[in-house]
Formats: sequence, structure tokens, C-alpha cells
Amino acid sequence: MRGSIPILRVGGNLLATVHIELRDKVAEAFQEDVLETIEKTGAAGLVVDISGLEVVDTYVARVLADTARMAKLMGARSVLVGMRPEVAATLVRMGYAMDGVATALNVDEALILLTAATERRI
Amino acid sequence: MKQGDMMHRLRLDERELASRVAFFEISDADLRRLSSLRPLAERHTDEIVEGFYQLLLGHPETRKFFADEATIRRVKRNQRDYFLGLFTGQLDLAYVEDRLRVGAAHERIGLPPKWYLGAYRRYMQLMDQRLVAELPPTEAKDAFQSLRKLVYFDMALAIDSYVLANLDALQRHQAAIRELSTPVIRVHAGVLLLPLVGTIDSQRAEQIMEAVLVRIVDEQAKVIILDIAGVAVVDTKVADHLLKTTAAVRLLGAQTILTGISAQVARTIVQLGVDISSMHTLSRLAEGIELALDLIGKAIVKKVG
Repeated sequence: MRGSIPILRVGGNLLATVHIELRDKVAEAFQEDVLETIEKTGAAGLVVDISGLEVVDTYVARVLADTARMAKLMGARSVLVGMRPEVAATLVRMGYAMDGVATALNVDEALILLTAATERRI
Repeated sequence: MKQGDMMHRLRLDERELASRVAFFEISDADLRRLSSLRPLAERHTDEIVEGFYQLLLGHPETRKFFADEATIRRVKRNQRDYFLGLFTGQLDLAYVEDRLRVGAAHERIGLPPKWYLGAYRRYMQLMDQRLVAELPPTEAKDAFQSLRKLVYFDMALAIDSYVLANLDALQRHQAAIRELSTPVIRVHAGVLLLPLVGTIDSQRAEQIMEAVLVRIVDEQAKVIILDIAGVAVVDTKVADHLLKTTAAVRLLGAQTILTGISAQVARTIVQLGVDISSMHTLSRLAEGIELALDLIGKAIVKKVG
């Protein structure tokens, strides 16, 4: 399970591309991988690309939100990118708008957002 | 529409065929009788078809559907095939498919069902006359009964294909109206505008959200301006729909600006106790466009000199 979702280093940030459903063991392994990589690299930002996910239910949405919160505790800002229109519509309809989780249209935008935030901090 | 497609949409399978045959009380004896009448039918085909077209060509309402001699020759030939088709003794799905083609052809040229049914009466009269003239009275009566069953069966199929074609037209119109009701406009690279006009009910709100989300992803737009100046009534429900759309837009990584808020609407929203502080709100569209440009790091400036 560990390593089934690739996490790449892009400058001082991390990029995780989620292409399989975050269920049970996979979700747990993903969170462990992300946190361990942040610890090892001291990355300031984390971009999670979910453009490969056709379905995101409230469980998966919660896993993603939790991961962002955990990363924040370790000092890394998270940005969720690439959510599909039908996924966004469904989540909102179910009353789960993932408040507090930063979003961007694509990986480029997310990296610009993270860079701006880092620069502000310094 | 393809016949196969029509068969599918009318659920015309073996079971449906069997139930129609039972309801129209078409027995094997009927089909055998019809097939034994084929030689008689063949002898009279031409005069019956001629008599039939005398009616159609004799009235201006139906005359206009037959533009020239070539068309008339062609439809008469088709009519002969149709007529003899009644006397094959076969009643299977291939027959049904063939009969649906007749209704579809009439619908395509815009011949209303009233003329179709009216012309069919003439057809029946012409056939009845031949049967009475050529057969002993009881046989003629039986033959006419069998024929009438199959003819009514055919008419039901023709009406079905008329109804189906109308349903298609209706759905096309509804799709067109839906599209017109959510005209998402690109006002600048990365900035979209949706002017909302009229009444927003739940169904339309869903369409609006869907159209907005899809366009944002397609265009990778960072800002969408919703202008509600033309919305008749803004109540709790409408405000809720707008909030939901805003939340979904945010999930995609874009932002929503709400413009066109009149004094009346501002009063209503506050009096209703709806919290729309999660949205950027402005009274005028021009201000909305300026804010949108600001959000993407651009500005409208006065030319120097």
C-alpha cells in the first residue's frame, strides 16, 4: 500500500497525484507517505492533484481535508487541485464544501499560490 | 431517426409484438386468410392505388405534399409495396419495422395524422368494394374483418412513430432553452460572466451550477461573475443556490463575484438573515469586472497622452 500514490518534489514543494480511490489502507498509507516526506524534505507546500478521480464521496473528501490539516501542523500549506465539475457539484449538494482547504485550478496555479505564500512569510 | 432506434425506444420486441397481436385479435386464421387473398390483391393493386391518390391529389391540403410527377410515381410505387405487404401472411418484427418506416416518412414530410387517417378510410373503402365484388358475401365479410385488424395494427404503429418524433422535437427545444438560459460569456482571459435573467427555480439553479462548473474547468477561468440584475425574485432559496454555486466554484479553485445587487435585494437578503459574506458582492457589473481583473492581477488603466 505504501508508495502506491507517487509524491514528487517540485522545488521546495511536494506534488501528490491521486489516481486511485482513497479507501481504508490506501488512505492511511497515503497520509503516512505524505507526512514522512514532509518530515524528510522539510517541504513548505503540498499540492494534491485529484483530476484523476471521477468520484469523491464525503469519506474521501474527509481524508483529503484531514491530510491537509496534518500537513499544516508540520508547517506545510496544502492546495487541492483539479477537482472535476461533477465532483464539486456532488460534494456541495451533500453539504461538504471542504471549508478551510485551499484550492486551485491546476498545478501551476497551486505552485504560484504556494510561492506567494512562502515569499510573504520571509 | 433510424427504424432500429425507433423499435428500441418503442420497446418493440417479441413480447410487445405478441401483446399487440393479442389486443388487435389477429389470429393465425386472419393471417392465412390475408395471404390467400394475395392473388386478388395483386389484380387490383393498381386501381386501388390510383383511387387512393385521387383523394390525396384532389385536395389542396394534401396535394402540396406531392411536388412533381416523379414524386407521385415514387410514392405510388411505395404504396403498391405497402398494399401488397398486407397480404403476405407474415406478422413479425421485420413487418413492424417496415410499417414504422411509413409513419416516419409521413412525419418527415410533415403530413399531419389527420390526413393520414382520413386517407386510410378511402383505402378501406376501395378494398371493401373489391372484396364484395369478387367474393361470396360471408367470405367478403370475413376477409374485410381480417384486413381491418391488420390495418388498425399498422395505424397504431404509424401513430406511435408520430408521437415519438414529436417527443424528440420537444426534447430538442428544451435543450435549446436550457442552453439559452445559461449563456456563460468569456469577458477576458480567465474571467467568465453569467448574466442571469428571469426566475431561478431549483431545476434552473442546478443547470446554472453545472454550466458554470464545466465552463470554469474548460476555460481554466479563475473568476466567474454572476450578474443577478435581471433576476425577478431573490429569496432565501435563490440565495442558497447562489451560495452553493459559490462553494462548488471554490472547490475547483476559482472565485465567484456576485453583481447586480439592487437596494431591494440587499434589503431582502439582510432581512431574511442569509449570510452571503463568503461571496464578493457588488452593485454594478462594471465594478465586478474591475474586481475580477484585480483578482487575476490586471487592471484597466487610462491611456497616457
